Amino acid sequence: MLQTNNYSLVLLIQLSLLAFDLFVNSFSELLRAAPVIQLVLFIIQDIAVLFNVIIILLMMFNTYVFQVGLLSLLLERFRALLVLSAVYLTLSICLHCWIMNLRWMESNRFVWTDGLQVLFVFQRIAAVLYYYLYKRSTEYLGDPRLYEECPWLRDAFARARL
Amino acid sequence: MTMETDDEKGYGTRRRELPPISHVQKHGPRALPSLPSQDTTDEIQVPKKKKKKKVKQEEETESVRGPKDGGIEMGGLASPRQSESREPLTPEPPENLPQRKKKKKKAEAVDQDGDQANLVLNGDMADQNSDEETTRKPKKKKKTKPKATESDPELGIEDDDIITGPAQPPIPQHALFSAPQGQSQPVAKVFVERGRRFQPAERTDRHGPSNQTEHNFMDVQSTWTTRDVSVRVHRGFRVIGLFCHGFLAGYSFWNIIVLYILAGDQLSALSNLLQQYCILAYPAQCLFYFLLALSTVSAFDRVNLARGPHAIRSFLTFEPVALASFLYFSALVLSLSQQMTSDRINLYRSANASLWLPGSEHSVLYPWIIVNLVVTLLVGLAWILLSTTPDVDHTEESLMAMNIEFPSLEEKGSVTA
Repeated sequence: MLQTNNYSLVLLIQLSLLAFDLFVNSFSELLRAAPVIQLVLFIIQDIAVLFNVIIILLMMFNTYVFQVGLLSLLLERFRALLVLSAVYLTLSICLHCWIMNLRWMESNRFVWTDGLQVLFVFQRIAAVLYYYLYKRSTEYLGDPRLYEECPWLRDAFARARL
Repeated sequence: MTMETDDEKGYGTRRRELPPISHVQKHGPRALPSLPSQDTTDEIQVPKKKKKKKVKQEEETESVRGPKDGGIEMGGLASPRQSESREPLTPEPPENLPQRKKKKKKAEAVDQDGDQANLVLNGDMADQNSDEETTRKPKKKKKTKPKATESDPELGIEDDDIITGPAQPPIPQHALFSAPQGQSQPVAKVFVERGRRFQPAERTDRHGPSNQTEHNFMDVQSTWTTRDVSVRVHRGFRVIGLFCHGFLAGYSFWNIIVLYILAGDQLSALSNLLQQYCILAYPAQCLFYFLLALSTVSAFDRVNLARGPHAIRSFLTFEPVALASFLYFSALVLSLSQQMTSDRINLYRSANASLWLPGSEHSVLYPWIIVNLVVTLLVGLAWILLSTTPDVDHTEESLMAMNIEFPSLEEKGSVTA
């Protein structure tokens, strides 16, 4: 059974990482005067996304549903998040590499091309969807039904067997 | 001789069997005459011997006098301690008194195991003549001790008076004088200082309220589940979202007004706009993204977008929250699409001439202003839609449904069957 204190702590860490991610996505363009600062921010942001994915995977492994082997039930709920996290992380790394490559020598110059603009828009939109799905998933992982045997789980198990 | 063997075998365990056959021992008292007293450290033993000696003398006199002394025994109650120790004694017919005293004497020699009652009893027998003797008792004991040990054989003390126990426990001194040691019983009242006076108050009254609040707090803490934490976090974020919706609507409205004012009538002063707004363009864009991201996530939460069929139904039925989330998402995409133009405006002063060719301002800025206007309209409309239904939150409804529903007894029976 997931303890309330532990869950609160994990939730706090996850939301803090999300907030940092949002902050970097929003204001990193303003901190481009020194490319090193932007580089460090981007690295931390990508690591934070990775950490968040690892944390949510660990929370899923901790569920009773996962331990009894009902993986499909978890995937049905959290598939979108897992897919979007992977997409977002990929887009972020690509965008960060591209931008840093263009701005490393001279940070305060116009670097935008159509391709970069498209990637930028997709990365930022994916970020918003990732925030929404991640927040929702962390809240749904507080579902007590996922951590102990209950009629709901028995029904789900019966449906999975059919 | 049989007694000796018995004593040798089980001295410590069978002491209580000795008194009934004391008269047998009396016939052969010299069988073990000069046993050196091993208990030289025993402070109480020797005075007793003296007292016993006195008692013996008294017995002789008593035997001469006859059964008078029963009255003395009963009448010698002077000090309260004596009276206490004498309470268990019951008056007996005077014929039995000498024998009884002898028995007591034997019992006293054998039963010196630190029992306070016995000690006082012995003291009674010795001190029945006067009360002063009992009060001076401790002093006497110390003074007479060495002499008595030396003159054991000479005085002809009976062998059963000498105790050769292996480990005789020392009699606690305080046992004679200390008050009865009982555990103090807690009183139901507590004395509380009120106005320089201690007044009795009920213990339960005093601790009642604090205990109750503590208990309630513990109850609240213990009854919190992970679902409650989730719901609380979600509600907190909804408050932040509400603030962001309003702030974003106001900010975008202010932004578009500033743009139109700086651009002049019929966008005739675009160079002025570039000069004035180039500092604000990129921060404004970043702030737009920040607020739009929060507002979009909040609007998606309201619709519960992740539940596909439910969200589609909401869109098809033109639910305000569904429309608002769509408007916010559209505004976000439109705003992001102007990132390049915003950066171009931001670099207006510092960039070279190739970035802003002469006469290109209108072609670049006109769509940018129109997009900003559309974003403002979308954001404003979304805010109005959300403000009409502030209580609708489908995600919270589903979070609240995360309960473990245990089947009732009837259902349980049917399930097991």
